[in-house]
Amino acid sequence: MASSVAQKRLFHEYKNLSTNPPEGITAGPVSEDDMFYWEALIEGPGDTPFEGGVFAAELKFPKDYPLSPPTMKFVGGGVWHPNVYPNGTVCISILHPPGDDPNHYEHASERWSPIQSVEKILISVMSMLAEPNDESPANVEAAKMWRERRPEYEQKVRDEVRKGLGL
Amino acid sequence: MAEPFDIPDSTDWLNTPLLLLAPLENSLRCQICKDFFDNPVLTSCSHTFCSLCIRRCLSNEGRCPTCRLQDQELKLRRNWIVQELVEQFQNAREPMLSLARKEAARLTNGGDDIQQPAPKKRRVGFLDQDEEAEAADPGSQRMRTRSRGVKVEVAMQEEEPEVIEDSQDDDEDFVPEDGLFSCPLGCGRRMKEAVMFTHLDVCTGQKAPSPAKPATFGSLQPQRHATQNFIDPPERLPAINYSLLKDGQLKKKFRELGIPDWGSRALLQRRHTEWMNLWNANCDSRNPKPKRELLNELKIWEKTQGGAQTPFASAADEITRKDFDREKWSSSHDDDFKRLIANARKKSDAQIRSTIPGALAASEDNVPAPAGPIEIPMGNGDPVVIDSDGP
Repeated sequence: MASSVAQKRLFHEYKNLSTNPPEGITAGPVSEDDMFYWEALIEGPGDTPFEGGVFAAELKFPKDYPLSPPTMKFVGGGVWHPNVYPNGTVCISILHPPGDDPNHYEHASERWSPIQSVEKILISVMSMLAEPNDESPANVEAAKMWRERRPEYEQKVRDEVRKGLGL
Repeated sequence: MAEPFDIPDSTDWLNTPLLLLAPLENSLRCQICKDFFDNPVLTSCSHTFCSLCIRRCLSNEGRCPTCRLQDQELKLRRNWIVQELVEQFQNAREPMLSLARKEAARLTNGGDDIQQPAPKKRRVGFLDQDEEAEAADPGSQRMRTRSRGVKVEVAMQEEEPEVIEDSQDDDEDFVPEDGLFSCPLGCGRRMKEAVMFTHLDVCTGQKAPSPAKPATFGSLQPQRHATQNFIDPPERLPAINYSLLKDGQLKKKFRELGIPDWGSRALLQRRHTEWMNLWNANCDSRNPKPKRELLNELKIWEKTQGGAQTPFASAADEITRKDFDREKWSSSHDDDFKRLIANARKKSDAQIRSTIPGALAASEDNVPAPAGPIEIPMGNGDPVVIDSDGP
């Protein structure tokens, strides 16, 4: 099958991520037959309640990638965070195309552009875990807890992390 | 489909002594397609991309992907020096890389000269792989897929016509129209009228040594190439205001252009935009491709993004496929399933709440599934419960 622009670019990103992975991040296609479906593992950033956790996520790429951004979803649950929907879908400005701003708060410069990459998305998600953005909560309960009852939020996150590790 | 690791990439340098070439190579690559710049053009905001890449972005969004300033395709200008840099780097890449890899292999072998044959052998293996890759995918990067010796030969062949071309400058009958006058004493120099008299005072009439030929360094001479290749320059396609044309008029236009005219109106517009981008990017090339090659590229687009997409196995489709590897899936997602089972049980049975997930997995056959969640029979025979309400 003739490979499309998107596939070639994803090959490049895959190779780059496997030969030179950023710290705490692993990502690649689930099967090399389908470059449009990836799996990623992100380590919980240090000095945060997520520390010690490993979070699995799936990335789905559109056919016109990199013109349009992929979607990202944590799988297996266990990510209690203001910017992660209860079903695991990540809500972060880098994953939103510039034309589409459902929350009317994001600067165009923070949003998706074809020069962004999987690596930049995963790094952004890692820093999102450390610093939630409660302007546009995807998980309202978590956002409220984070804002008003921080110790409880942190304890819940730690419990989820421990549960995720099977402890 | 090509293996991802056959794709030349800036990370190739990382495990060699020349790792500083990685950022250099990276800056010679387009940030949209991650490949070496192909017909690089400059935007109004001074960012460089492949002609085709930026055209696709602009027709999609109308903004520069780097700084998001608005820009138009009409304002794109060719960036010859970047093209020159990329070409020369690509020429040098394979020899440099094989040398760097040999050196890396030598260093890992302790730098012992007696061990020399070993890295050589490895290099032969490496080249064989590459040649296989070339046979499998002739469209992939040619720099990577040729052995060093062949590459040098090719480079020399490529330069030959340039040398012949330059010799024209030495031809006495050849008079460039540059508004200059040649010295009547026959020294071969050319100058403005105003400086001619001072020159005649010192001129010996001897021919000055001919200037060094820049062609040996592959110097880029756009004007010369322009006259060489644009004898019949392809004309750029104008944008169409689709809303002004009825379906019939649009299809007539497509037939005139020689591109397929089937499909819905939305598809026709997308196809025309892609064709316009392919065509106009080709106009930026020093060696424009023939139209049939562009039509082939349009076919690939049609197959991957247009109206002739083959249904692609998405993740959701995959598990319904007949040849789906259930064993592999259940083992790779074992932990997820166990966690989901644990969550489901917690809701149905307060007693099990204190049990750890590992113990649950061991005894899962004995516990009845709760009423709400969905049950999926797995490859290993164990029922797996997915709780849609899980945290």
